[in-house]
Amino acid sequence: MAGTVDAARCRSCGRLSYPTHFYCPACHCRDFDPVPIEGEGTLLTWTRVYALPLDYAQLYLTLGIVELDMGVRAMGRLDIDEPVTGARVRATVGVVREIGGREVEGLVFGTA
Amino acid sequence: MRDVAIVGAGSTQFGRSQWSLLKLMCEASNEALGDASLGDRRIDAVYVANMGSVRNNRQAGLASALVDRLNVFPAAAETIENGPASGASAVKHGVQAVASGMCDLVLVCGGERMQEVNAFESTEFVSYLSHRYAEYVYGVTLPALAGLFARLYMERHGIRPEHLAMVAIKNHANGARNPRAHLQTPVTMEGILTGPDAFMNNPFIADPLRFFDCCPVSDGASAVLLAPAEMAGELARTPVRVAGIGQATDCQAVHERPDPAELPAVRLAAQRAFAMAGIEPSGVDVAELHDAFTILEIAESEEAGFFGRGEAAGALERGETRIDGRLPINPSGGLKARGHPVGNTGVSQIVELVRQLRGEAGNYQVPGDPRHGFALNFGGFGNNVLATVLERGV
Repeated sequence: MAGTVDAARCRSCGRLSYPTHFYCPACHCRDFDPVPIEGEGTLLTWTRVYALPLDYAQLYLTLGIVELDMGVRAMGRLDIDEPVTGARVRATVGVVREIGGREVEGLVFGTA
Repeated sequence: MRDVAIVGAGSTQFGRSQWSLLKLMCEASNEALGDASLGDRRIDAVYVANMGSVRNNRQAGLASALVDRLNVFPAAAETIENGPASGASAVKHGVQAVASGMCDLVLVCGGERMQEVNAFESTEFVSYLSHRYAEYVYGVTLPALAGLFARLYMERHGIRPEHLAMVAIKNHANGARNPRAHLQTPVTMEGILTGPDAFMNNPFIADPLRFFDCCPVSDGASAVLLAPAEMAGELARTPVRVAGIGQATDCQAVHERPDPAELPAVRLAAQRAFAMAGIEPSGVDVAELHDAFTILEIAESEEAGFFGRGEAAGALERGETRIDGRLPINPSGGLKARGHPVGNTGVSQIVELVRQLRGEAGNYQVPGDPRHGFALNFGGFGNNVLATVLERGV
């Protein structure tokens, strides 16, 4: 069962941030409510990386930055064969890396 | 605050070295110390710039170890880790120590030995610069961040792969004239972009960036000796004054910046350095920019104010940034060809500018007696940037 990747909504000013910060980037308050990153968005930019760091057995990774309709941007893995900037994508959560034998979940974007 | 001058400079060969990290740093320091007329004066402090020694070379406390090998006890010693901007950071701290009056003679040495580990390990340790939870877990590397940035910047400003290749061709040509450069082989447009074998020679690393858009993984060390400007005349034939330093930071996660296609920390660092030096970008005669990726030389040259937005590509086409151009950029070969031992690079840039301002750069000397030099050292993916302005004479 996949978990969630959460943005943070500031309880004082309502600003949505991702990743999270100790102080709200807008009002400096430090109380937040978690808001799962979900739904559709637009692909702002992407890359296909062939020089991989440790832990990866595949030939390449496809990564992108997405402007989500919910009001934040996020980096994630793209599950899209031929990405095009401006494409509509949908956020899901899946295993993105194994670190020290432990599976780590993160955002995976597919075609909307 | 006292004015501070560079009275000695030195560096090793860049590339894959058989020397240990400390041996590299000792050789660079020895050259910088020997370059100045020190007599029996003692070094007050040593600042070392390095990023990866704990992981790659199994050595912590690098500055203390360097003091030991150089026998400059009881000099104060600190190691500065500020990612790829460690070098300029260490120079800044050295300048502050002298400017404040706390120290007279300060040695700043940047060193990195990356080839002690394999390519996966070196890619991995540099990727620790990225945001642990919002970037690193996806396998984000520095080339990946550069690829994401490059696509945005190219689409927005009409930059074509040819322009990226022009940066590589220029910097490889410059590196071929620098006997200490890591890569001294010229490359051509046919060889890396337009010829039948181009894409065999030049595969994608992080689409749209190809192999020749990325700097090599290098070993090397550089060092400068700093002194109060009023002492500089006794210590050096041609002292070089540190006229301005500027630094600025930005969001760690690239996607969170208000506009991920801009590098505001580069803009601010440069503005602050120019303001402190009291010159405009047009007053710069030679620049060493942080071209870890070809797109960065283009973007930085615009953010720093040398060209208007979208104008760097035209300047490249007209050859304005070649050694004999209006504003030579990276005459040493830059990170692209001189090499990029990460934590060392900011010190290397300063050493290269000192050589240019003294007229001692040999085959890659910029003509016309350059008086002002500008260095830009880019940390993380633009989240910690230092700019330094140097001026010949004190």
